Amino acid sequence: MAEGSHEVTEELTVSNRLGIHARPAAAIVQRVLAFDSEVYFNLNGNRVNAKSIMGLLTLAATRGSRLIVQCKGQDAEEAMHAVKELFTSGFGEE
Amino acid sequence: MDTQDLPVNRKTYIEVSRLMEFMSRDLELEAMAGFQGIDRPVYSSDINRPGLAIGGYLEYFANDRIQILGNTEIHYMEKLNTATLSQRLDSMFSFEIPAFLLSRHLTPQNIFLDMCNQRGVPVLQSSRSTDEVISRIILFLTEEFSPETVIHATAVDCYGVGCLIVGSPGVGKSETALELIERGHRLVADDVVALKRHREDHLFAETNEMIEHHMEIRGVGIIDVKAVFGAGRVRNRKTIGLIVELEEWNEGANYDRTGLIEEYIEILGVRIPYLRIPVRPGRNMAIIIEVASLNHRLKEMGMNPAEQFNERLLHIMHGNNRPT
Repeated sequence: MAEGSHEVTEELTVSNRLGIHARPAAAIVQRVLAFDSEVYFNLNGNRVNAKSIMGLLTLAATRGSRLIVQCKGQDAEEAMHAVKELFTSGFGEE
Repeated sequence: MDTQDLPVNRKTYIEVSRLMEFMSRDLELEAMAGFQGIDRPVYSSDINRPGLAIGGYLEYFANDRIQILGNTEIHYMEKLNTATLSQRLDSMFSFEIPAFLLSRHLTPQNIFLDMCNQRGVPVLQSSRSTDEVISRIILFLTEEFSPETVIHATAVDCYGVGCLIVGSPGVGKSETALELIERGHRLVADDVVALKRHREDHLFAETNEMIEHHMEIRGVGIIDVKAVFGAGRVRNRKTIGLIVELEEWNEGANYDRTGLIEEYIEILGVRIPYLRIPVRPGRNMAIIIEVASLNHRLKEMGMNPAEQFNERLLHIMHGNNRPT
């Protein structure tokens, strides 16, 4: 791995009622695109790139799903922080 | 492009019910007995003809495979007297057997069916000939057990060449695919491409069942390619012949200028020709991919334009006295 590059991994729980459908997926993509880091979501052995709406949708993550979130890159910590914020806020949904 | 850390999934077993579900139509299968064992696991993509086991020789009995019963086995069982048959079957059934499959509408004796019912070993009957059953079952199982992965990419059938377009998010994979579709080529999958190895040396791209042929185009949103462009512009699977990586134009980078150097990338153990193409406003990526595909086809047909051109050049320069 390149110098100054980090990798952080955390487990986050989907908290909004409808789970990760198109709108939350779009919100996630928009947020993580701001970072250079690669961001991956893992669920049930599937790993998708969090910078892809379609990828996120294939996870079919419902409320209560626990995702393993990996951020890799120089701004991995910041990216993870932003992703966490989204999860806690229920992606801006109820 | 880094393909080393792609998560690889590989089934260790499949259930007999899955085989029923997917092969029923193909093999015209009907379940005759042992229904309660329909979820028994199959661990091997190979099959076994249990002739020797029925004959009483149980060493090396490949019991963990699907057991195919054809004319030979069925008629042999009919020749045995009931006591011997029952004893032979008893010994055979002391092994775990996933299922029996009969060809040509063959029906075994009741004693056999009763034992399968008691032990919950499914008995399936096919209308097809034995060799047909065997080749189709092996093909199906091999595919089921082949390794697979999912990659963030776009797969398009361009002039019959399966192109896997890779590159960082936002580099324009989807837009390039859209233009290729517009120009008459076919979309296999956008954004989420399932890759499956077939046999030892083929790599398939498959459409994701959930997102099908939907695409996300920045600024427009989610579109359904099948609805917008028609059924003729999509397909569900295609062998990959070429990997094209789109990357931001990088002044310092060295791009292949001659086509004399061939690069490959290995995915799931399959080596695929690989091209890196720099993206810049005004460069029409779709046309470049079309040309790359056609060039790939030429090479597959045994023509290598770059090599041949260079050969001709060397001939003009040196005639027949080329220095070695």
